[in-house]
Amino acid sequence: MEKEELAPHVSEISRVLKGKVEESEIWKELDTYLNHYRVSLETAKRGIVKKFGGDPSALMIGTRKPIQQLGLNEQSVDILAKVITVNEKDIEVDGKQKSILYGIIGDDSGTIPYTAWEADRYPLRRGEVVLIRNAYTKEWGGQPQVNLGTRASIEQQPEESVKLPEGMPRAFPDAGEVKISDLQENMGGVTVTARILSLEKREVDVSGEKRIVHSGILADETGKVQFSAWYDFELKPNDLITIRGAYVRSWRGIPQLNFGERSQVTRTNIKFPSGADLAKPKTRSIGDLERIGGGIDVLVRGTVVEVRKGSGLIFRCPECNRVVQKSSCRVHGSVQAQPDLRIKAVVDDGIATMTAVISRKLTESIMRMSLEESMRLAKEAMDPNVILEKIDEKLFAQPIELEGNVTSDEYGLMMIVSSARVSVPEVRNEAGALLNQLEESE
Amino acid sequence: MMKREVAWRVFAAEYNSSSMEMKGEEERAPSYIITPLGALINRLFVIGVMTDVENMGTTEEPMWRGRISDPTGTFYVSAGQYQPEAALAMSKIKPPAFIAVIGKSRTYSPEEGTIYVSIRPERIAAVDERMRDHWVLETCKLTLERISALEDALEMETPSAEEMVKLGHGKSLAEGVVKSLPHYQGLELDRYRTMVVDALRYLIPEYRIEAEVPQSVAEVPEEIEEEEKEDIDKEEKVLGIIDKLDKKGKGAPWDEIVEETGKSGIDKSELEELTNSLLDKGLIYEPVLGKMKRI
Repeated sequence: MEKEELAPHVSEISRVLKGKVEESEIWKELDTYLNHYRVSLETAKRGIVKKFGGDPSALMIGTRKPIQQLGLNEQSVDILAKVITVNEKDIEVDGKQKSILYGIIGDDSGTIPYTAWEADRYPLRRGEVVLIRNAYTKEWGGQPQVNLGTRASIEQQPEESVKLPEGMPRAFPDAGEVKISDLQENMGGVTVTARILSLEKREVDVSGEKRIVHSGILADETGKVQFSAWYDFELKPNDLITIRGAYVRSWRGIPQLNFGERSQVTRTNIKFPSGADLAKPKTRSIGDLERIGGGIDVLVRGTVVEVRKGSGLIFRCPECNRVVQKSSCRVHGSVQAQPDLRIKAVVDDGIATMTAVISRKLTESIMRMSLEESMRLAKEAMDPNVILEKIDEKLFAQPIELEGNVTSDEYGLMMIVSSARVSVPEVRNEAGALLNQLEESE
Repeated sequence: MMKREVAWRVFAAEYNSSSMEMKGEEERAPSYIITPLGALINRLFVIGVMTDVENMGTTEEPMWRGRISDPTGTFYVSAGQYQPEAALAMSKIKPPAFIAVIGKSRTYSPEEGTIYVSIRPERIAAVDERMRDHWVLETCKLTLERISALEDALEMETPSAEEMVKLGHGKSLAEGVVKSLPHYQGLELDRYRTMVVDALRYLIPEYRIEAEVPQSVAEVPEEIEEEEKEDIDKEEKVLGIIDKLDKKGKGAPWDEIVEETGKSGIDKSELEELTNSLLDKGLIYEPVLGKMKRI
């Protein structure tokens, strides 16, 4: 048993003994009981407490918890559950072959994946009800997973002591059918119906193992999502598929859909928007993106409330592309700095806010001014800030429509803009419609 | 680093009715004004008509004060030496002008229990009428969103921000509504709904003058209707005269307006009624005492 796994038990014994015995002493005792006498952890703890004159009944004999209440990092927990599936798998640990069991257990509160790290110690059989003692949980994909380490034990229990509710088994708390714009980090058991807009095959390295992953972009009427299929479902571009048992991971806030061997993929033939329709960016509010964390190829409307410093004519290090001041890169020293144009604007819709980064090409077209032209103007004024001022004059307080990918970090949302439209929408019709609506509801 | 504060869109009538503050307890923690509709304002964004601007300080230590009117009331804006860019921008504005302001909420409390709110601008710039109209529409929509959030909160036995977010309201609005509710007892949501309706009408040209005509004209006795129409005709006349007399762009002198309108059979007391109505509608204003000017 790992030292970190035992630590909570040592402090528990110490607590029951009211600190009368040094923790180092307890460690030694525990080691003797467990490794020399090979008794169970429970017996060892009771024995040690008794030996030093404590009250063994004050020990929490492994807290028993229903599956639904299991946390991501339980140190020692007892679970009374039914074994729903058992699979055996050979793995290599430190150059030695070893057999482990994995599968799903369940009780009336839910189900959870488990791994038993020594197959021969745990005679788990499908359909059996067992009391698992001293298991621990680890986070896997945002969900807890039960682990049976070297100190776990199992006791068979009468089969009727656990009743699974109807509709079991499920591997994760099931997120069920989800629209793409509602996908959120750490969702599991997701069912998505979408069309494959693009697809590519890549070889990736997963902890030293080469694996083929089929990745691309899926879309429904609410938006697009990047996906990775870790199993060859023989997907083809433009396929309309329903994926069951997928899960969501995020990259810089952008949700990404994953599915593999244990997921199901079926072709469906329902009425669904065409690939061309789905390719268009879908409108999302900044607040919505903030809640989800990000998204790809979204359309956002807001108002420019600030043109940030660092917008306009800037100079970059030719080596590392960093923005440099006075032709001196903080990594590469004195360099022949390359001019560039960009806009960093704060876009706000009154509910939430994001930073939009607009590259040279788009900046040139928004400002109707080329990089060369802005260089000339800056030279004339002997101040590169004139370009920033021009951008600010043009964009401040302007309603703006932006398309691009939105990521997030601790500073908030950021969009890398792929398309921008600066225009004040006509308000009359919308105001009229809203007025009618209000007058009708009166 | 702290996340950037969102720029709230609120009408002056809502902002100025605020009597609740939330001061940041830790150092550099942001302070907020909580409006009756639950907007939790540290920063706000306003587009309106700057009707006057004046340096109340000295040349060395300027303190520029201005008023920005929207369809519901007036925002008070002030920028001093610590807002050099905004102060400089304000010094260059020739009212009346369409102005966009992004700024921080400020309060002034001359005595316990009384709070006056204003805006300390971060950035101020001239814009055009279309941008103002767009702001009015956006502010209508966001005000309605706040009204609906309050309605949801009123339905709850013990309103909580968490439950509000579950209903789809933004996090800071949810928080603001839960805080505002116990403070603003007896809030009349209908008043705010009417304010939005009026603001929407403001955007639709057909309503611009008729806004004061009773809604169900058919039920109104004919004579009154006639009178109303006559009033509006007279208002138009007064507007025309003010325009004509405003030769230097600094407003039309009151005495000359009285004289000129007298020729059209409008006596002084009627003229006062008409100008009051025009002032209320935001069609004219008094740049200095004794002068009238069209907006």
